[in-house]
Amino acid sequence: MAFDNLTDFFEMGRHGVYVWSVYGFSTVSLALITWSTLSKRHQIQETLRKRFLRDKTI
Amino acid sequence: MTYLSFIKTEFLVLWRRKQDVFNALLFFIIVVVLFPLGVNPSSDFLAPAADGIIWCATVLAILMAIEGMFKEDYTDGSLEQLVISGLSLSLLMLLKTTAQWLAVLLPLLLMMPLLAEMLYLPDGSFWVLIVTLVIGTPSLFLIGSIGAALTVSLKQGAMLVMLLMLPFYLPVIIFATSAVRAAQLGLPYLGLLAMLLAVFLLSLVIAPFMTAIAIKASTN
Amino acid sequence: MSWTWFHKLGSPKWFFHWSKSLALPLFGFGCICLLFGLVWGVAFAPEDYQQGNSFRIIYIHVPAAILAQSCYLALGLSGLVFLVWQMKIAPIFIKAVAPVGAVMALMALVSGAIWGKPTWGTWWVWDARLTSVLVLFLLYMGIIALQNSLNDVTLANKAVAVISVVGLINLPIIKYSVEWWNTLHQGATFTLTEKPAMPAEMWVPLLISTIGLYCLVAGLALWRMQTEILIREHRSNWVKQEVMKDGL
Repeated sequence: MAFDNLTDFFEMGRHGVYVWSVYGFSTVSLALITWSTLSKRHQIQETLRKRFLRDKTI
Repeated sequence: MTYLSFIKTEFLVLWRRKQDVFNALLFFIIVVVLFPLGVNPSSDFLAPAADGIIWCATVLAILMAIEGMFKEDYTDGSLEQLVISGLSLSLLMLLKTTAQWLAVLLPLLLMMPLLAEMLYLPDGSFWVLIVTLVIGTPSLFLIGSIGAALTVSLKQGAMLVMLLMLPFYLPVIIFATSAVRAAQLGLPYLGLLAMLLAVFLLSLVIAPFMTAIAIKASTN
Repeated sequence: MSWTWFHKLGSPKWFFHWSKSLALPLFGFGCICLLFGLVWGVAFAPEDYQQGNSFRIIYIHVPAAILAQSCYLALGLSGLVFLVWQMKIAPIFIKAVAPVGAVMALMALVSGAIWGKPTWGTWWVWDARLTSVLVLFLLYMGIIALQNSLNDVTLANKAVAVISVVGLINLPIIKYSVEWWNTLHQGATFTLTEKPAMPAEMWVPLLISTIGLYCLVAGLALWRMQTEILIREHRSNWVKQEVMKDGL
């Protein structure tokens, strides 16, 4: 490890705020796009399934 | 219909709808006036910024003018007539864009001496500015015609055309204003004019085809 | 050489079945790879002698910027494929990937701005690289806006393909002009990422996180394409069978 202890790791020699905010932002963006992709996919599948089931009963 | 009769009617229509061209020019003047009023009227600010102001205003005015380029033809069905006319649609689009360009550029050039004076444009660079306008604006019209054709079926397309086309206009703006600035500093500027010309030639080769594809897709 | 795979690719049905079992492994592998590269880069790579620890932003900034450009390249190429061969899968690809590319550009932009603060002392410098990422982001927004404004699917397909191709042709010119403009106005600035000979323990994690992000984005793209295929083909029989068969 490039750091002596955990405090050093989080502080990153005064640059911690910048580094961690970048990684925070990136994690949130990636999580959001993944979530929207999967939820849209799930939603479409459910809608289609319901429609097909309804068609079958008619 | 022949190419000649097409271009004749184009100019006739432009002449009848001169208010549209006039509006674009008025818009151009207003944008130019905003800078001295909104930022700083002293020649210290205006003289070095004059070419940039004129180019930004030109780009905005052209985007305003170009958005409605196909609108009327689309609603009255003459665009479909062009598609099935048997003539090359790309060539027709090129002719139409040329007509539009002439209609906006010529009055714009006539206003330039006045505006250059009002913005304290340094003396030596006036003719370079004119040259950049003459070889730079055709690219703007050619590229812009693609955006206008893509959004012709939309009622509110003006904002979308701006959003779509402004990034493509950046190289033209950069090369044109840099050429004027180089001329002001007494540096060689012919290379930059050549770059502008290259962008123009590339647009000339590609844009009419793309516009024709977009028109065909929009009229179906 | 057989070209059947190429023609098969054009069929949404074939593509759906082919990609169904591929998306999750790609995405998972991407996540693991990215995480591995990032942990290595953030915790174990040596400190930069000039920038200190703020250089560790590189491990997300550069992959995001590379992905933003690659996605745009892919958009432009598939636009070309659509205009030339009318391949049905191409516009589906464009619609699926454009938002992902926009997110990548945004990530590169935000990380670049935050990196700028400790390096240059301001959040934003009109640096050639940052400016061209900004333009790239605007290009993505244009494509997305056009896609969303056109309700007619056939027209939207064509329109988005046209604008992607025009963008692909223009992007090198825009990049060149921005770089040229930058040297004119800025003089020789200290760019964020250009370093003379980065040591291996610095660039290997960068390579790994880039590969990881590539796979992650590929997985996302496949999922989004599958959703779009289901929407577009919802009348066909195979979609019915597919949807009724399993919950996925």
